[in-house]
Amino acid sequence: MEEPPLREEEEEEEEEDGEAEEEGPEGVLGKSPFQLTTEDVYDISYVMGRELMALGSDPRVTQLQFKIVRVLEMLEALVNEGSLTAEALRMERDNLRQEVEGLRRQAPPAGGEVNLGPDKIVVDLTDPNRPRFTLQELRDVLQERNKLKSQLLLVQEELQCYKSGLIPPREGPGRRREKNPLVTRTSPASSNKEEKTIIRKLFSFRSGKQT
Amino acid sequence: MRSSLMPLGPPVSRDRVIASFPKWYTPDACLQFKEHFHGQVSAACQHRTTGTVGLKFSKVVVVGDLYVGKTSLIHRFCKNVFNHDYKATIGVDFEIERFEIAGIPYSLQIWDTAGQEKFKCIASAYYRGAQVIITAFDLTDVQTLEHTRQWLEDALRENEVGSCFIFLVGTKKDLLSGAACEQAEAEAVHLANKMQAEYWSVSAKTGENVKAFFSRVAALAFEQSVLQDLERRSSTRLQVGDGDLIRMEGSPPETPESRKASSLGCC
Ligand SMILES: Nc1nc2c(ncn2[C@@H]2O[C@H](COP(=O)(O)OP(=O)(O)OP(=O)(O)O)[C@@H](O)[C@H]2O)c(=O)[nH]1
Ligand SMILES: [Mg+2]
Repeated sequence: MEEPPLREEEEEEEEEDGEAEEEGPEGVLGKSPFQLTTEDVYDISYVMGRELMALGSDPRVTQLQFKIVRVLEMLEALVNEGSLTAEALRMERDNLRQEVEGLRRQAPPAGGEVNLGPDKIVVDLTDPNRPRFTLQELRDVLQERNKLKSQLLLVQEELQCYKSGLIPPREGPGRRREKNPLVTRTSPASSNKEEKTIIRKLFSFRSGKQT
Repeated sequence: MRSSLMPLGPPVSRDRVIASFPKWYTPDACLQFKEHFHGQVSAACQHRTTGTVGLKFSKVVVVGDLYVGKTSLIHRFCKNVFNHDYKATIGVDFEIERFEIAGIPYSLQIWDTAGQEKFKCIASAYYRGAQVIITAFDLTDVQTLEHTRQWLEDALRENEVGSCFIFLVGTKKDLLSGAACEQAEAEAVHLANKMQAEYWSVSAKTGENVKAFFSRVAALAFEQSVLQDLERRSSTRLQVGDGDLIRMEGSPPETPESRKASSLGCC
C-alpha cells in the first residue's frame, strides 16, 4: 500500500531531472550498453541507491544492497576498460590516417602536382602488387627460363638413353671427354676448320652437353 | 657414320610413331588431300637419305585470344593432362615433342604464346621462323574466332610469304554438341578457307582429336622439311652421306632459335 505514492514521487523527480539535464538517470537505463559511460553508471547507482533506501532497513534489503553495489562496481570497471580501449583505438586510427595522408603527399614526384598524360598511370607505392619490372627484364627472365627448360629436356633425354641402354653406362661419360678424337675419326680427310666445327657441332648431340 | 646418327635420343613412344599419312579433319577446309607421303619423301625415308631433317626441330607457333585453351591443348598432347583452372601463360612457353615419321626421327618445337594483350610484344618476338602457325579459338565464343584473322596476320608478318602451314583450331569441343557445334564449325570452316588454313575441332578436356591433329601437323611439316632438304641437296649437287652433315651450315639462313633447337634433337 505504500508503494504507489513512492512511485509517483520518483516519476515526478525523474521528470524534473529529465528537464534539468538532457539525459537523466532514468534515461540512462534506456541507453545502449555499448554507449554507457562511467558517469552513466554513477547515475544508475544513484537511482538504485535511493530506491533501496526507500525499501527500509529490512536485513534482506541490506544483503541485496551489497550485491547490487558489487554488480555496479563491476559494471563501472567494464565500462571504464571499454572506454580506454576505444580511446586507444581512436588514437591509433588517427595516427594511421595521418601516416596515409603523409604518404599520399609524398607519392607524387617533387613539385607536388602530377600532370598525367593520356598514357600515364598512377602507381601506388604501398601496393605490394604494384608493377615493378620492366618489359626487358621479363624478356630476359623468359629467355633464361627457355634456355634452362631446353637444357632440362636434353638431360632428361640423355637420362632416358642411359636407362634404355642406348648408351652403355661406362661408355657415356668417357665419350664426352673424347670429343676431339671422335671428330678426327669421322673426318680424317678433312683439314678444313669449318667442317670440323660443324661436325663437332653435330657430334655434340651424341656427347650430349652442348648448346 | 650415317647410322650412328640415326638413333637420336631414346626411342619415341609408340603413339608418336607415324607410319601412314594422317588424314584431315574435314575435307571442307584442308591443306592437302593426299593419303600417302610424297613418293620422293617415302623413298628418301626408306633409304635413310633424309639428311639433317631428323636432327632439326620444326617450329610450331600457337596463337589466339586469351583463355581459348592454347596451353590446355598443348599440355593435353605433350603431357596428357588437363587442368580446369585457368593459369594465364606469361609471355611464352614451349614444349618439344619427338616423333618417328616414316621411320625417321622428327621433332616439333611447339611454342605456346600468351593471349593477354600485355604480353603480345613479348610473344610476337617468337613468331619468326615458324613452319606451322596454329590459330586457336574457343568454339563457344564467336568473338575469339573473329580475332583469329588478326592473330594470323601478326604471325605471318614475321615470316616469309607462303612458308608456313596454317591451321585454324576450334577448342573446347566438349562444351558444344549437335546444331550449335555444326553452326560454329561451319563459320570456322568458312573463315579457314579465307585464311588458307586447315580446320580442326578439338577438346583438350576429353582429348578428342588432339593426337590426330598434332600428328597431322607433324606429318605435313615433316614432309615439307624432307622435300626442302632434298631440293636443297640437289641444287647444291652434293653427295649424300657425310656431305649431308657438313652442309647444314651452308643451308639457307636459319633463325638462331631453330639452330639452337637443332642441338636439342637428341640425347
Ligand atoms: N571444357 C573445356 N575447357 C577447356 C578446354 N580447354 C581449355 N579449357 C579451359 O579454358 C581455360 C583457359 O585455358 P588455357 O589453356 O589456359 O587458355 P590459353 O589460351 O592458354 O590462355 P592464355 O595463356 O592466357 O593465352 C582453362 O580454365 C581451361 O581449363 C576444353 O577443351 N574444354
Ligand atoms: Mg596459355
